[in-house]
Amino acid sequence: MTYLVDGKQISAEPHAGQCLRTFLRDFGSFGVKKGCDGGDCGACTVWLDGVPVHSCLTPAFRAAGREVTTIAGLAVDGVLHPMQQAFLDAQAFQCGFCTAGMIMTAASLDAERLQDLPHSLKGNLCRCTGYRSINDALHGRTSVEADVAGRACGASLPNPFGPSIVTGQAHYTMDVAVEGALHLKVLRSPHAHARIVAIDRQKALAVPGVAGIFTWEDVPRRLYSTATHEDHLVDPDDTYMLDNVVRFVGQRVAAVVAETEAAAEAACHLLDVTYEILPAVFDPVTAMEPDAPVLHDKGDAARGNIYVDIKGEVGSVLEGFAGADAVHEMTYSTSRVQHSHLETHGSIAWKDETGRLHVRTSSQAPFIAKQKLCHLFQMSPRDVHVFCERIGGGFGGKQEMISEDLCVLATLKIGRPVQWEFTREEQFIGATTRHQMTTRVKLGAKRDGTLTAIDVHVVSNTGAYGGHGGETLAAALGNPLTAYRCKNKRAEGYAVYTNIVPGGGFRGYGASQTTFAIESAMDDLARTLGIDPFAMRRLNMVRPGDWMESVWKDPSDVTFGSYGLDQCLDLVEDALSSGRGAEPPAGENWQSGTGVALAMLDCGPPTEHRSGAEMALLPDGRYHLAIGSTEMGNGSVTSHRQIAASVLSTRADQVAIINADTDLTPYDTGTFASTGTVVAGRAVDAAANALLDNILDFASRHTGAPTSECHLDDDEIVCGNRRMSLQDLWKAGHAVGHRFEAKRKAYLSPRTVAFNVHGIRLAVEKVTGEIRILQSVQAADIGRLINPMQCRGQIDGAIAMAIGWTLTENMMIDDHGAVINPAFRNYRIPAFADVPESEVHFADTYDAIGPLGAKSQGESAINPVAPAIANALANATGVRFAHLPLTPDRIFDRLSHDA
Amino acid sequence: MRPFSYQRVDSVSAAVQAGRIDANGHLDAPVQFLAGGTTLLDLMKLDVMRPQRIVDINPLETSLSDIAVESGDVRLGALARMSDVADHPAIRKDFPVIAQSLKLAASAQLRNMASLGGNVLQRTRCTYFRDVSWASCNKRIPGSGCAALEGVNRKHAVLGTSENCIATYPGDFAQALLALDATVDIAGVQGDRTIAFRDLHVKPGETPHVETTLLPGEIITAFRIAGEPWMKRSLYLKIRDRESYEFAIASAAVALDLQDGIVRQVRIAIGGMATVPWRSEEAEAVLTGKPLDEERARQAAQAAFAAARGRGENAFKPELGRETLVRALLEAATLEF
Repeated sequence: MTYLVDGKQISAEPHAGQCLRTFLRDFGSFGVKKGCDGGDCGACTVWLDGVPVHSCLTPAFRAAGREVTTIAGLAVDGVLHPMQQAFLDAQAFQCGFCTAGMIMTAASLDAERLQDLPHSLKGNLCRCTGYRSINDALHGRTSVEADVAGRACGASLPNPFGPSIVTGQAHYTMDVAVEGALHLKVLRSPHAHARIVAIDRQKALAVPGVAGIFTWEDVPRRLYSTATHEDHLVDPDDTYMLDNVVRFVGQRVAAVVAETEAAAEAACHLLDVTYEILPAVFDPVTAMEPDAPVLHDKGDAARGNIYVDIKGEVGSVLEGFAGADAVHEMTYSTSRVQHSHLETHGSIAWKDETGRLHVRTSSQAPFIAKQKLCHLFQMSPRDVHVFCERIGGGFGGKQEMISEDLCVLATLKIGRPVQWEFTREEQFIGATTRHQMTTRVKLGAKRDGTLTAIDVHVVSNTGAYGGHGGETLAAALGNPLTAYRCKNKRAEGYAVYTNIVPGGGFRGYGASQTTFAIESAMDDLARTLGIDPFAMRRLNMVRPGDWMESVWKDPSDVTFGSYGLDQCLDLVEDALSSGRGAEPPAGENWQSGTGVALAMLDCGPPTEHRSGAEMALLPDGRYHLAIGSTEMGNGSVTSHRQIAASVLSTRADQVAIINADTDLTPYDTGTFASTGTVVAGRAVDAAANALLDNILDFASRHTGAPTSECHLDDDEIVCGNRRMSLQDLWKAGHAVGHRFEAKRKAYLSPRTVAFNVHGIRLAVEKVTGEIRILQSVQAADIGRLINPMQCRGQIDGAIAMAIGWTLTENMMIDDHGAVINPAFRNYRIPAFADVPESEVHFADTYDAIGPLGAKSQGESAINPVAPAIANALANATGVRFAHLPLTPDRIFDRLSHDA
Repeated sequence: MRPFSYQRVDSVSAAVQAGRIDANGHLDAPVQFLAGGTTLLDLMKLDVMRPQRIVDINPLETSLSDIAVESGDVRLGALARMSDVADHPAIRKDFPVIAQSLKLAASAQLRNMASLGGNVLQRTRCTYFRDVSWASCNKRIPGSGCAALEGVNRKHAVLGTSENCIATYPGDFAQALLALDATVDIAGVQGDRTIAFRDLHVKPGETPHVETTLLPGEIITAFRIAGEPWMKRSLYLKIRDRESYEFAIASAAVALDLQDGIVRQVRIAIGGMATVPWRSEEAEAVLTGKPLDEERARQAAQAAFAAARGRGENAFKPELGRETLVRALLEAATLEF
């Protein structure tokens, strides 16, 4: 058969049963992405005879003799399609993984369809942007600003990889063809708790193309945690690569490696596993009872399934409640949700001719992944190289080492390259999730609203393994309580093992869950007292000079590098009363209300976090910047370039950046805990300043002008009256053996604080329970904006993610512990139509601690959104909805019965 | 996906010959027809459907994808794509319920691919049907039981259910066809026949795996509607968990012949609530010959859901269905054209 792909003739026979997506990728069309493989996400969109279709649902045969256009064929003679240019001008992407498909759909829209984007873009999901920048692109708006020497910081500069993203040339983890690579597939447990008695491989081994089968008997019997942190001791070593006990439906049972994915999958089906079913427990409260089945036998029977408990008290809540005029107590809960980064987990491992191991992966922490691989396989660090290229989103989900280990195992055993890409279903049943938490909040206050006591009790369901269980619980009991000044605070939290898919790190990291509870409770208490919710918060919020504490007396390293919470509340209050936003729909069934919530964030984790950066002046007068930090759509490669350019008085475009590579960049703990700017950014700042000193020092010696009279000016240096190009300076230095290089490290202490306040005005249809968000406004105190467009984009994206969490997303677990909606078809992340455009405001602050005045902001924006929506709903209906998600049936049910 | 062989046919007679062992699309049938492929490929990837041969009927597009509106009557070829029908000016103007039901369904890419014939035959979204790791599903494995009865069933049916199956019929377009009293042209080994659309689907009863009255090898060639001027007063109201892309949790298709405030004729179909596309003659009877006001609309809604039965998580649905129908009727009454 002949195919015409992007104007090129291909003669080929697709495999039996092959879809167009994999067929195109076999011929190098890596711009055709896999997000779901089920016609839900649109990442694989291509044109068939000019009409966009999901290539994952199109049999390859159907394209024979027809004209196929992928993202790579959209530009004509090197001139970008106007839609590609529009996406660049508006920077309508963050991780860029959905972009190819999004552009293929957008570029096909006629004038009428452009008028109706909510319908026209139903078939394309983006998890990063919140769709605002995509809307900008489709309206021809330009967001990027000029790259002016010396003014890089504070400018909305574009992502250096933008041109390759909009043309489909950016290579994400699986977008390479590794010669001779074998494919790995995993058999996953159908049981929530079982002991593996026997695995018969006979039939599976007979499948043609099978190269190896690995079970618990084939792996190093070494405990570890899949969670990645600088200090591995903060997570429990409770996991084996493959185990003879499975503790949740979806846990790995065996890995099969074969010549094709289909053969590996077929062999998985043919593995005959005999299980001894063990009693299982799914509810964390039941799991804490003495007679509950125990998941992890650690020889400490008293603890049972409680992985960790955290308790603390300052003052005396007993006295606080005794002195209160009003007490509010209620239990709030949040649902289990999945990160849903559009690029699934995946990695590729191979050995080079010297026997050295290389692992290409989709990780937020390649350096820690390397450490864990060295631990598991007892390898020397020098023999292992782990790296990332482009990464399609993370949101905390890739703060795990969960695909690399099996690829390495198979490569070490078989000697050939091995690759493994998670399916979308595996993301839901075999990766990590946001911890489900149930939080009882008890608040006491004086008649005037002054808080007298805060008492919080949290049960966190950490699932079958405890990675991030302790740290998220600590975060849950941290900032949401620190945000309020109150003499008497107490908190008690339990992270409990159950037989369901494990929790993990997820944007907001535990604080999101209790912020929902505490901010809801603050509103409920304010209503009881007849106090305005803004006034209630202003009265009690933490202020500079306050001793910042949650429920632990020990001194912390957190301090006010700046403070803008007061500004944030003003900005949101003004916006909500401005009359902006949409009108409520007509009809007496629609009720409107407003709500507000605040969140506070310590910038960076309490545990160690380190970054290193390396800079050099290159022979062509440009700069080299190597930074260990991962870019996954968070914008750090862009902002790091800007920081370096700013220090070196040049344009960002003069800085060539590489990142996240254990061979080519200095050590970095990982991109998580909102550290991309405040730790890695600080390392860049320090390295750039060191290189500046190095250059000025040499230039001074070279020209004889004192350093005080030398300064950089874009790609030139001025020394007194003399001006020379950096190219010439490099030559002069090189001639005498001078090295224009600098390397610096950054470590995070003390830490500063950031704030986010969110306001919502919504309408709810009291009959159907339908919610319409009429106005959404966030004010953020994140210090100086290194890249205003990106800062806004991060907040837009966090708001959209929060709207999904609040209104539609929920991993449903059935009586047997299985996730019953492991697909975007029935696990609904927001589409274009589901996300209102938000107003985003910034407090005018400049931080004394963060690099160049900036603070963290990747995560915290998500935290106040859910409670703001719930508070607005309570304001509209008079009914408190205390459990996420706020789905129409739950609302309808309560409103029709409580009415 | 399991390997399969692929055959392309270029005539209706060749198609029905090739498909004569398709066994009415049963999951275990070795042959399946491929039109848009959006249901078939999806279910094959999930390993729910495992055909050995796929018969591609897309070459019949030349004869079976017409959209004809002549002297008020409509003929829609079975291979017409959802997107083309939804955008057709005469359909949008004179039969808004059709255009709305198609436009509110799926995504642009899917509508570009999916055919009308395949659309009405799409399979349920019941989780237990779509996930082969569940042992119990009478649709997949006759006699194996129904995991949804006691399972997660918030979105499951409350009308037309049996003790063997409560899976919801997921489509939107079928309700529009019911509200316009459409007929279906069918070609088969034993010749052509035409049936009322309402006779196409069958309730699960004792045999949930039998979903339609199509015989082995038969294919739908067209849908026909005997048009009436009053069909301009028709609409499709879809309630779902979110605005963008979601199957109906409740929907109503209404076509109303209203003169001087009196209902001369009305046809009502209900979606998201039943195991099959659901026509409610009970509700129609309450309204026919009467003035349409809110009270009367409520009585009609009561009648429509008199036999509804919730089980566990979907107990809220009858009430939601009633409110949806009331809103659809009152909105239809106020349409101006």
